[in-house]
This record gives sequence, C-alpha cells and structure tokens, in this order.
Amino acid sequence: MLRKQAAMGAAENIGASATGFGVAYTITSVLSALLVVLKERSGAIHDGLAAITGHHWVTHGLLNLIVFLVLGLVLSRIGNGMRTTASVLIMSIVGATVLSGLIIVGYYLGAMIQS
Amino acid sequence: MSKELILMLHPTFGVLTIIFSVWVFVESLNASDANYARIRGASILVAVLMWLTYIVGGYWYVVFYYGDKAIIKAGPWPFAHSFFMEAKEHVFLMLLLLATFLPIAAYGDVLKKQSTRKLVLWTSALVVLMSLAMEGAGAFISMGVKVALLAKQI
Repeated sequence: MLRKQAAMGAAENIGASATGFGVAYTITSVLSALLVVLKERSGAIHDGLAAITGHHWVTHGLLNLIVFLVLGLVLSRIGNGMRTTASVLIMSIVGATVLSGLIIVGYYLGAMIQS
Repeated sequence: MSKELILMLHPTFGVLTIIFSVWVFVESLNASDANYARIRGASILVAVLMWLTYIVGGYWYVVFYYGDKAIIKAGPWPFAHSFFMEAKEHVFLMLLLLATFLPIAAYGDVLKKQSTRKLVLWTSALVVLMSLAMEGAGAFISMGVKVALLAKQI
C-alpha cells in the first residue's frame, strides 16, 4: 500500500511555482559551478566580475540570484506546460547539487594538488 | 559591533538554519492538518536564516577576511584557504538558492500531494547536509588561522 502510494507520488505533477523554481535552481547551480572554473582560469573574467561590484564573489552571487529569479518566474508561468513529475524534478535538483558540488570541490582540489 | 562578533554570528545563523531545516524535514514526514502551518513557517525561517548567514558572513568575508587569508597562507595549513574557503564560498551560493527554494516547495500542497511532500523532504535534507559541510569547512578555516598563529609563536 505504502509502496503504491509512493509510486503514485513520484508520478504526480508538482505545482507551477515549485516546478519553475526547481528547474531554475538546477540550471543556476550548474551555471554557477561552471562560472567558478571560468573565473579561476581566466583573469579577464575574474577582473570583469570584480569590476562590477568591487568583488568577484559579490557579483557572482548577484548573477546567480538574477538568473535564479528570472528563470524561476519565467518557468513558473509555463510550469504547468512543463509537466515535470516529482521524480524527475527531485533527481534534477539532487543531481545538479551533486554535480555542481563535485565541479567546485574537484576544481579546487586539483588546483591545490598542482600547486 | 566588533568584527569578531560579526564572525560569530555567521555560524550561529548557520546552525539555526540546520535546526530549522531538520524541523521542516521531521514535520514533513508527518504532514497533517495539525502541522501544515508549522511546515510553512519553519521553511520561511530556513530561508530567512540562510540569507542572514549569507549577509553577515559575506560582509565579513569581503571586508575583513583579507587579514586572516594572509595569516592562513603563510602558515602550515594554506589549504584551509586554497581549498576549504574557496570551495565553501562558492558551494554556499548554491545552498543559498536551495534554502530560498524550500519555502516555495513547502507552499505547495504538502498534505494532499505525496510528490510535493517528497520534494520538501529532499530539499530540506540537502540543506541540512550542505550546511553541515559548510560548518565543517568553517572549522578548518578557523583552525588554519589558529595553527598559523601558533606556528608564529614557536
């Protein structure tokens, strides 16, 4: 009975806001991790980010927030059209978190070993 | 306010975020009419506390950290900055968005939709695990300063 309920839950659609902002988080977290690698490997990108607010990390956070909010609001509007199930959304969120974490940790670990 | 006090507020808000995230997780496991409001209220507190952690820690990092950074890099544990601080400051940006997403998920139909409840459970669990990793990284950074100052005295 419980297994049947859980299976039904996994196939259910989630609300438009949760779907929109969940997908927005997935995309933003991976883009943020890639930006970490880009800015660490390119002095021009690092300095460009620093020039905008005075500190590269502040600009990075601001960009993340803008992408997350804009994508979230846009995707929420079409959330019902996306028809994402709970399982897909949860796997996307967990997968993006693990992937982004591995990119960031892996990059700094590699840089530390090389230095 | 002294800069040391500002620094201590950062992990304090972080720990409170962990406690409230665990609260959201446990309440969601047993979601009912009786605790529906508490799930939503606690999820908002998670987001607010995470933003306070970010603002206080971010202010300290941008304004005061350069001194500690120089001490750590000159000490026996330079990896406390080059690995732990660098990774922490960037993973935290994801954690901030995830904590912001938690109340958005919790304001769905947690009672009737099993799917929404599962989403809240996974999101709150991720916030707890990532926040614990942040606290651990913060401990390494503090220890990086400590061992550097101790090495100077010897």
